[in-house]
Amino acid sequence: MLKKTLSVWLCFSLCTIAFAQDSFLIKGAVLNANTLQPIDGASISRGNLFSITSNTGEFTLKNVKQGTYNLVVSSMGFTSKTITIQVDSMLKDVIIYLEESATNLDEVEVLGKSKKRELMETPVVSYSVSETFLEENRENSLMQTLSKIPGVSTINIGSGQSKPVIRGLGFNRVAVVQNGIKHEAQQWGNDHGLEIDQYGIENIQIIKGPASLVYGSDAIAGVVDIQPNAIPSIHSFSGDINLLGETNNDLLGVSAGVQARNHNWFYRGRLTYRDYGDYKVPTDQISYENYIFNLHDNNLRNTAGKEADASFSLGYINDNIESETSFSNVNAKNGFFANAHGLEVRTSDIDYDRSNRDIDLPYHKVNHFKITNNTTIQSEDHTFYFDLGYQNNLRSEHSESIPHGYMPKPPNTEERVFNKNTYALNVRDAFKPNAAHDMVFGINMEFQDNNIGGWGFLIPEYNRFTVGAFAFDTFEVTPDLHFLAGLRYDYGFVDTKAYYDWFPSTINNEDGSTSYVYLQRAQNKSLDFGNFSGSVGLSYILNHTTFKINVGKSFRMPLANELASDGVNYHMYRYEKGNLDLDPESSYQLDLDIDHTTNAFSIGVSPFVNFFENFIYLNPTSAYYETLQIYEYTQSKVFRIGGEIRASTTIFENLKLDASSEYVYSRQTSGAKEGFTIPFSPPLSSLLSARYQFKDLLFLSKPQLIADYKITASQDEIVPPEEKTPGYQLFNMSFISELNLFKNNSPIEMRVKLNNVFNTKYFDHTSFYRLIDVPEAGRNLSISLTVPL
Amino acid sequence: MRFLYPYKMRFTLKYYYSFLSMLLIASCTSDDSIDKDEEKPTITVNYTDGFPQGCSVLTKGETYNFRAQVTDNKALASYSIDIHNNFDHHTHDDQVTECDLEEIKDAVNPFIFMENYTIENELTNYEINVSVTIPNDIDAGDYHCAYSVTDETGWQARTSIDIKITD
Repeated sequence: MLKKTLSVWLCFSLCTIAFAQDSFLIKGAVLNANTLQPIDGASISRGNLFSITSNTGEFTLKNVKQGTYNLVVSSMGFTSKTITIQVDSMLKDVIIYLEESATNLDEVEVLGKSKKRELMETPVVSYSVSETFLEENRENSLMQTLSKIPGVSTINIGSGQSKPVIRGLGFNRVAVVQNGIKHEAQQWGNDHGLEIDQYGIENIQIIKGPASLVYGSDAIAGVVDIQPNAIPSIHSFSGDINLLGETNNDLLGVSAGVQARNHNWFYRGRLTYRDYGDYKVPTDQISYENYIFNLHDNNLRNTAGKEADASFSLGYINDNIESETSFSNVNAKNGFFANAHGLEVRTSDIDYDRSNRDIDLPYHKVNHFKITNNTTIQSEDHTFYFDLGYQNNLRSEHSESIPHGYMPKPPNTEERVFNKNTYALNVRDAFKPNAAHDMVFGINMEFQDNNIGGWGFLIPEYNRFTVGAFAFDTFEVTPDLHFLAGLRYDYGFVDTKAYYDWFPSTINNEDGSTSYVYLQRAQNKSLDFGNFSGSVGLSYILNHTTFKINVGKSFRMPLANELASDGVNYHMYRYEKGNLDLDPESSYQLDLDIDHTTNAFSIGVSPFVNFFENFIYLNPTSAYYETLQIYEYTQSKVFRIGGEIRASTTIFENLKLDASSEYVYSRQTSGAKEGFTIPFSPPLSSLLSARYQFKDLLFLSKPQLIADYKITASQDEIVPPEEKTPGYQLFNMSFISELNLFKNNSPIEMRVKLNNVFNTKYFDHTSFYRLIDVPEAGRNLSISLTVPL
Repeated sequence: MRFLYPYKMRFTLKYYYSFLSMLLIASCTSDDSIDKDEEKPTITVNYTDGFPQGCSVLTKGETYNFRAQVTDNKALASYSIDIHNNFDHHTHDDQVTECDLEEIKDAVNPFIFMENYTIENELTNYEINVSVTIPNDIDAGDYHCAYSVTDETGWQARTSIDIKITD
């Protein structure tokens, strides 16, 4: 496709036409202004002069007399254009760019409902994130980008990794779904983030509530559903290159993507590479307990990293079938703060300060390979959806080999290796028995096979299988009143495999003798679970106001580490003990959402009340094992209440103000930590944002200045071993503009961001490094350019 | 310039207030019945009888009384003593002193002492006093002595002291 475009260009730039003096030939081409692709079948007319473009977009008008002509150029789906040309011996080739017209979209809306209207009608409280939002707010990881949405936050591990948190619940209580398949990552530890390339994503749907009904186990607190990208339009080719530079961690990033389609076939591809150094914090000294770490040049030593991602997909579409197969690979290497990885304080011979870009021990390497196939088949009233997925996660954690307790010095640096294969199949049938009902039946199946290696032990090898079946119906009582009800049943089993230490431990027997034993850390055990979940909801649209109410029961199957951990986590200085008696977590939640939107302003509240029958958490006990504190997985009742409020208004035509607040109150109402909150509770926080759009200036088009002011209250609600975190205020600025540097070309998008303008030293209560008193990143200037191909 | 509809504003503010009052109710009806323990225990060897002090030199074959003072606001629960080698200089202690360390070396038969103890009767003050005999057949060199203590709630305090064992 690119070749074709180039050849059209070359053809026109090389051969100019010189004809007889009184009769001229007009030659030219019609191109799509956005994609620069030739437009097939466009008409060029003026009175009796008429031509239609070929499939390369070319046209010719013969026997034209000298003079000035107004040509009307039009094509289906594009805004018609009138151009004036001077026909004489100086005439060069005419290239005409047509803008895609909005009428094209209107035609679609007549057939189906707009996305916005659909979101209003569904009783599920969800939030749709657009590509524009993702681009304008892009941070170092996908979840950091999304954390600007009220109710969404992250658990950060350094500058390049983060875990999703929705309304204060994270880890495996949030399901991340990509192309319909549950994304497997981040459950192997506090220092393990999501493995997703955040470029090339067009739309994300966030559900801030229990969503097990459709998504199964893990969707107990919410869902981050990365939707498949829209299929490219017929006979199109487009692409972009994004360049990113950041000053705080000296990041350089490049991501390039292309997509193209002929009539039925389409493909997409993307390559992303990012390389960053240690990130800087606004302090030169970190004091943790009685230890003091002096930082060289404000660098948080050994937090550098790099990431290389590739993806490719091939698809086919006709009137009845739509199918796309995607291959993606995410590969990353991240260093961890050298002085203390977790709570373990270490000194080392490694000269960490010789470079801020090298990745020394401790570090981890992750690789995530994924194949998915999404197929949709239309058959009269039914639409069948098939999602098929295979994922391989490979994570190896490396740290200096040092003896610990009875363990002698290990032979290498490979502390832990996890290698997990996940196979998933989802089938759904959506059909309309009559005009008022939309019914969906579906089944989900998933099989996991986890293997381990390395000299450290934390999570056993296991196989896990889950199968669930669900049905739900959306009933349109009136066009403004919708009712949804659904039910689901899941069955699952986990087989854990036995593990023995590779070194003997000294056991002092009661009779005074001493024995040396290869301790058993995990047992061969088979556990199975069954669970009902469901949801009932209502949505009502009254003029500009939407009311939603939703009650749901969701569940989560215990993870293998929660069931069968039995080992020393030296980084955290604790002994972690699983519990084979754990029940699946079940949670009941009532969600409300009221939204009032007019052209001038919008305001919304989304409160919730939530009750966990048996919340699983890692409870620090007062007992010791080999001089390390025992942390045991336990269950307790938990009550939570909270929500978000949001308001936005356009004061002048060019000034838009947004404000939002989020708050969650959590209490354990039974168990060992009764009265305490749950771990990683986010504090009350508000975000005020002002956006001003200037007039176009020189080559700057739609220049916008955005100021964000974040106010976060202190977090005094803690549970051992957390520390209270003081409140903070943070100021971020950004400038966004389109650059029209080349005439007739699509503009370059430029984003300049200044995060933490005042280089404020503050602590994020939910950051991994909070435990060791490491403040968040200091001032950062980032510049990003997106150049269309 | 666009203007807001005052009546609609009031309409929506109503939700805002009801939401706020919901939060207030939630935070007021909370945990008053339960007295949460949010204090960590403390541990110190910085008193006359505290042992070992930073950079202490211990001799093989001798018996020492390891003594540390621990306190808690509510109830002490358990403590542990961990003596392990620092032949690789993996950590320094968290006491103020900097000790002279010997050359880095590999461990052959290092001294490992790992013991856990419980503190009965919900004491708030306790002196750890454990008698340890340094065996004769172990590697001499740099060692760490780490104390840790927990209270009944599960809070923990730790301290680590650089020591040396000689022949």
